[in-house]
Amino acid sequence: MGCPCALHLETDTESSAHAAQASVVAECARLDRKYSHYRDDSFVAQIAANAGSGIDVDEETADLLDFAAALHAQSGGLFDITAGVLTRLWDARNARLPGKDEISAALAVTGWQRVHWQRPLLRLGDPGMRVDLGGIVKEYAADRCAQTCRDAGVDSGVVDLGGDLALIGPHRDGSPWIVGIKAPRAPGRSAARIELPRGGLATSGDYERALIIDGRRYSHILDPRSGEPVQSFASVSVVADRCLVAGAAATLAMLMGIDRGGAYLRELGLPHLTITDDGSVGGDIACID
Amino acid sequence: MQTVQPWQRGRLARWDMRWDPDPLQAAMSQHAYFSKEGTSGEIGAAGGGCGCN
Amino acid sequence: MGARASPSLSFLLAASAALTGHAPARADETGSEQYAGYRFNVYSEDVLSAPALGDPRRYKVYSQQFLLNTTIGNRYALSVNATHEVMSGSSPWYVLPGPGGKPIQVLSGATIRDHRNAATVALTHDAGGNDTTTISATYSQERDYHSTALGAERTLPLNAALTLGFGGSFSHDRIEPFDASLYDRIQRAEKNTASAFASLSLVLDRVSAIESGIQLNYQTGYLSDPYKLVSVGDALDPDTRPDRRTEAAWLVRYRRAFGENAALHLDSHLAANSWGQHSLTLEANWYQSLRDGWQLVPGVRYYSQSRARFYAPFFAAGSGPDFSSDYRLGAFGAAAANLNLRKRIDHWEFSAGGERYHATTGYALGGTALADPATVSYTRIFAGLDYHFD
Repeated sequence: MGCPCALHLETDTESSAHAAQASVVAECARLDRKYSHYRDDSFVAQIAANAGSGIDVDEETADLLDFAAALHAQSGGLFDITAGVLTRLWDARNARLPGKDEISAALAVTGWQRVHWQRPLLRLGDPGMRVDLGGIVKEYAADRCAQTCRDAGVDSGVVDLGGDLALIGPHRDGSPWIVGIKAPRAPGRSAARIELPRGGLATSGDYERALIIDGRRYSHILDPRSGEPVQSFASVSVVADRCLVAGAAATLAMLMGIDRGGAYLRELGLPHLTITDDGSVGGDIACID
Repeated sequence: MQTVQPWQRGRLARWDMRWDPDPLQAAMSQHAYFSKEGTSGEIGAAGGGCGCN
Repeated sequence: MGARASPSLSFLLAASAALTGHAPARADETGSEQYAGYRFNVYSEDVLSAPALGDPRRYKVYSQQFLLNTTIGNRYALSVNATHEVMSGSSPWYVLPGPGGKPIQVLSGATIRDHRNAATVALTHDAGGNDTTTISATYSQERDYHSTALGAERTLPLNAALTLGFGGSFSHDRIEPFDASLYDRIQRAEKNTASAFASLSLVLDRVSAIESGIQLNYQTGYLSDPYKLVSVGDALDPDTRPDRRTEAAWLVRYRRAFGENAALHLDSHLAANSWGQHSLTLEANWYQSLRDGWQLVPGVRYYSQSRARFYAPFFAAGSGPDFSSDYRLGAFGAAAANLNLRKRIDHWEFSAGGERYHATTGYALGGTALADPATVSYTRIFAGLDYHFD
């Protein structure tokens, strides 16, 4: 997953903890192999290789693509799994702002509306296009791992994939877990701690890969329609029944920016916490400290 | 007709899109109509009749 | 989800259903949310506009409803519904021919005061994917009236867009009129009703769905009203109706979402029975979500019925064997408008509203030659409080 992950389990026996742990490791490895865009042998790479002709995808990928399509529709085109080429232009490692030409070249191979998606056939509109399911697979993986633990008979625990959490279930005495909401700008630290008995917690934020030129921060949250960075929250955290839903809500709110994103979160009605660049905190999650 | 995928059913799943969003209020309205009109009302399992005039 | 999801949350939940293993929600979902509800309803009839004799205080009903919807395990839902009503006022008794043949409605002299208690228990089994089976039992009791009903229904998805519903019910009613000996009323009578129904609901597109259904009712036994009399020549005879009635009805319902915050409901209903009555009902409601958890639901309804073969305000001597001057068997039309306001605060939901119902022979489709002097107009106001469990 390319991020610090942790697994907390409470079980009767060490062996059942090991069995659950093994299932989690296997599931994470499977999804990483399948969807990582850093790997040349991934399914995502295969889709790119067949950009012109199209490829029949499996059920799981189709469900993920359906979900991505729904988020694209819900966000008016802000959420776009084809925006990867554009995102890389604003990578901190470039150490410079992308030029107008680069942006228009990237925009030419960006846009979910250019993808032909008729389950199970996926065909990219341009050989240069890429799909990157990274924006939803991590949260999906957290939910899947929590479920594999429950299937293995473990009812109490937390799956933490880089700060996106899926709870297997509350502590064995029924009390909630105390979990940290990761802080923007300092991914190792937590901005707040909350009590969570079950469900999922996800945070979308402007943590890494941000480009800083002359002291100005260019976020890696991009509007795929213009190619420009979005002025938004430093981070948005959402609690929901499933980590996948929490993550989608947090990501959409980030993409919408402070005004629209804030209104969206209020309308959504899920517990949330927003942190802006100046450190001011909003939302309605009850924090412990 | 194109199949409406599960993810496209978001609006259909809303409370205000149910056939009968508020059963308590519907029951009271139907009871009033039923007791004043000569032909019976809703489709579905019949509730108890009454001697209302 | 116990609490009702906002439009955008419903969207996310439906969109993620395939991935999270949650069954996708649908327009025809049975709604197995858990909540408790209380409603208070005041129904009050207008004074008759036609000439009338007797106590002019028309019917008034105070109703209270209680509802508890809860789930039992993953597969079962239980719904318990109780109603308590207090009724008072005078009611139409018989019609006399007045000067120039104009009917004069005579109202019952004594003020009726009665209570009605009713309870329904329904158990639903959800086999998953919208395949549900519900059985229900209802008991309703007044001092002079007892009714017991049993019902069963099934919803069965045929494919991704089409759902079949069907079911049946049976009810047994027992009538023991007040002051039967005093007024020479029937001492005790019974009636039975059997119903069968079937419906198909279809998801038309992302924002609309339609349902069409038919229902057949068959009633036997004492179908008259023991408190009503009929002017036959110079005599007053008991209201007398056939001892069976068959009724068929066809219903179409349409739901359409407009954006994320509004929905249109259109309902139509056509019915005909073996007593020669047919009726049309058209109803439209608009569900408008506003800011801060407010919701406004205005609606209108139109109803028109033709008269039963044996209805007249009064009869010539030698008429029969069936005759009734019950206003419900005459031809009339009714227009109603209603408004309901809701406010959601966390788990609580307040609602309040009212309805104005105006009936007159003049609203009947195609008009009518026969007067119906007791057609009723009424006003209803209601308020309620629901609690949604999480």
